[in-house]
Amino acid sequence: MGDKQKMKRNQTAFLKEEYQELVKNNFDWRPRTLESGSKPHSIIDGKEVIMLCSNNYLNLSNHPLLIQGSIDAAKKYGAGSGSVRAIAGTLKIHLEVEKRLAKFKHTEASLIYQTGFAATAGLIPQLVDKGDIVISDELNHGSIIDGVRLSKADRAIYKHKDMSDLEKVLRDADTKYRRILIITDGVFSMDGDIAPVDKIVKLANEFGAMTYVDDAHGEGVVGPEGRGIGAHFGIEGKIDVEMGTFSKAFGVVGGLIAGSRDLVNFAYNKSRTWLLSGSHPPAVSGAQLAAINVLETEPEHVKNLWENTRYFKKELVSMGFDTGNSETPITPVIVGESKIAKELSNLLFDEGIYALPIVFPMVAKDKARIRTMMNAGLSKKDLDFTLEVFEKLGKKLAII
Amino acid sequence: MKRTIGFIVNPIAGMGGRVGLKGTDGVLKEAKARKAKPVAPQKARETLKEVALQKKNKDIHWITCAGTMGEKELKRAGIKNINIAYASKNKETSSIDTKDACKQFLVKNVDLILFCGGDGTARDIFGIVQNKIPILGIPSGVKMHSGVFGVTIHATAKMIEDFVQGSIPVGDCEVMDLDEDLYRKGIWKVQLYGVAKGIIEPTYVQVGKTSFESVSDNDSKSDLSDHILEEMQRNPTTLFFFGSGGTIDAIAKNIGLAHTLLGIDAVYQKKVIGSDLNEEQILKLLKQYPQAKLILSPIGAQGFILGRGNLQLSPVVVKKIGIDNIIVVATTSKLTGTPFLRVDTGDTTLDSSFAKREFLMVVIGYRFSRVVKIQTNNF
Repeated sequence: MGDKQKMKRNQTAFLKEEYQELVKNNFDWRPRTLESGSKPHSIIDGKEVIMLCSNNYLNLSNHPLLIQGSIDAAKKYGAGSGSVRAIAGTLKIHLEVEKRLAKFKHTEASLIYQTGFAATAGLIPQLVDKGDIVISDELNHGSIIDGVRLSKADRAIYKHKDMSDLEKVLRDADTKYRRILIITDGVFSMDGDIAPVDKIVKLANEFGAMTYVDDAHGEGVVGPEGRGIGAHFGIEGKIDVEMGTFSKAFGVVGGLIAGSRDLVNFAYNKSRTWLLSGSHPPAVSGAQLAAINVLETEPEHVKNLWENTRYFKKELVSMGFDTGNSETPITPVIVGESKIAKELSNLLFDEGIYALPIVFPMVAKDKARIRTMMNAGLSKKDLDFTLEVFEKLGKKLAII
Repeated sequence: MKRTIGFIVNPIAGMGGRVGLKGTDGVLKEAKARKAKPVAPQKARETLKEVALQKKNKDIHWITCAGTMGEKELKRAGIKNINIAYASKNKETSSIDTKDACKQFLVKNVDLILFCGGDGTARDIFGIVQNKIPILGIPSGVKMHSGVFGVTIHATAKMIEDFVQGSIPVGDCEVMDLDEDLYRKGIWKVQLYGVAKGIIEPTYVQVGKTSFESVSDNDSKSDLSDHILEEMQRNPTTLFFFGSGGTIDAIAKNIGLAHTLLGIDAVYQKKVIGSDLNEEQILKLLKQYPQAKLILSPIGAQGFILGRGNLQLSPVVVKKIGIDNIIVVATTSKLTGTPFLRVDTGDTTLDSSFAKREFLMVVIGYRFSRVVKIQTNNF
């Protein structure tokens, strides 16, 4: 009969099919390769370009003290940590980072996760469960959405930064749920605008709700010395969970939470991502520690970042570009249709500027854009060159 | 993608509006006597001019009706790829012409019917094509309660472009109409006539850092079904009234219930115990089952949850059930086009207790909701 040989199903055919579908629709990722480090002037696919889309806002990834910090820690503790934190992978340097970070953030305690995503995906499902509700800004980042999906809690969304909408959800949720968790991005990654975290915390306190702020793009960027969103609003220690990352402005890698000692005790005992992934290699921790030191002792990086940002934004606007509601070093250049954004991005690359397009459905159909992210290491000459190119291409494509 | 679009203008649509007739059905003479001017042809022309400028315009093959019922406006907009499938023999066109033209569209197997008119025209077209062909309306009637209309002329033109490019899927849209004869006697009665196919923008959910998947209306409805099913399991001694319209019909069918599309059904412990109920029957059931919940979905384009198409849910019924026991469900794509929920129960105290709430939480997915403002004023 040959039935045994007959294939029940082609178990891996979908791998190729789904990939090809992505390619067909132009939805596949084709990451460019950096042949240099991530620098203000990077070598990408053999070409030197001005980097306008890295999250290395302060150019700390190339800072000699961070590199030295990595080397020293590797020499002292080795290349790897040997285990997950809970068993035998907590090195003294991990604890040093957490202590220094809490001090930097003006909070009681802090905890380092392997990545920002690990923090969100590990902690949110523990904070809320069945019978609880997560209330989330409609424009929150994808990693938050994934974290929320892992929880059995109910979910409600409020209009972007709309406090009266949030209040309505809170009023409705107040009597129905055990715990209420409000989650928002600190700095929104697509538009570069800032959540009214002070008002959110005030509302949350009125209703007995917890607050969780994902400050990935604000850490090292907003607030005095780049201490983040809590410091920006002068409410350090009042956000229940201030979540951030070492992967962006800090120039290294890793997720973090800062808050009360109770929060940290709870978090490391309950977050499965934290408990089940290997801890950071010593070189990572050495660089993290150095990054905090640099932020506290060399204020020029944050200062340069904001000076560059203000200059770049002002000039773009005076040329007639629409930069949306940005209040941070993320400056979108809104061009309209998706294909114009893609074309502009390609032309920019030809001219030696690397900035990626953000298109529908990540943003509305008529709001496609080039998202630029400023770097403290760019000189005025670099910025003037970049602006000149933007002006030339903006006119060519009839955007301005 | 090559597309064939059936195009029809109801040249008299909208004429009754400015002269205070609340519609033009059957009162054309009166409208003309009141010096009403044609509205639809101009709206049609403006839309078509935008379509003519679109790059994909050459991919469209137009099937239309002779003269003022389509041909004239297509030609005026500079569109060339036209075939005439129907010519009226009457001097004054009427709903019979609309229906006969649609029969021809069915024969020609068009991909979409684009019409210029109001609820009356939508009803005539739906009467013939049912849900075999998607319908898209250029808003130009006096009454537009149905969900088949583009929000503006510009939006309609854009929807045509997206449809031709194949980037917009098709979904359910309610066809509603006011009974004009009753209205002119002072009785306001908007009925739900059926669920047509319309063009629906998909919504997208973020699945990764910057990757998205599009969620079809059907996926959304399946999520809503899971939510309602769980609600029923959690409340085993509660009677559930299922309201009318496409969304609730899909939910009921997903749960495995035989549901009346245009009426109100009662469901107890996952069994239908009453179909297409009138007010009296509903009140009787409420005596038997004092604990009840009512599932509603905004209907048509204006977002009515009460007072349009479901008059059997009278103020007495709603008060007995209690506002707290109303579960409003909607797909995200529907909410995109429905910024407000509206209530018009005809009972001022009841309307004002809705107004006091300012908003309702609308279920948009499994255990997933969002705030939607509520309006109680008539428009």
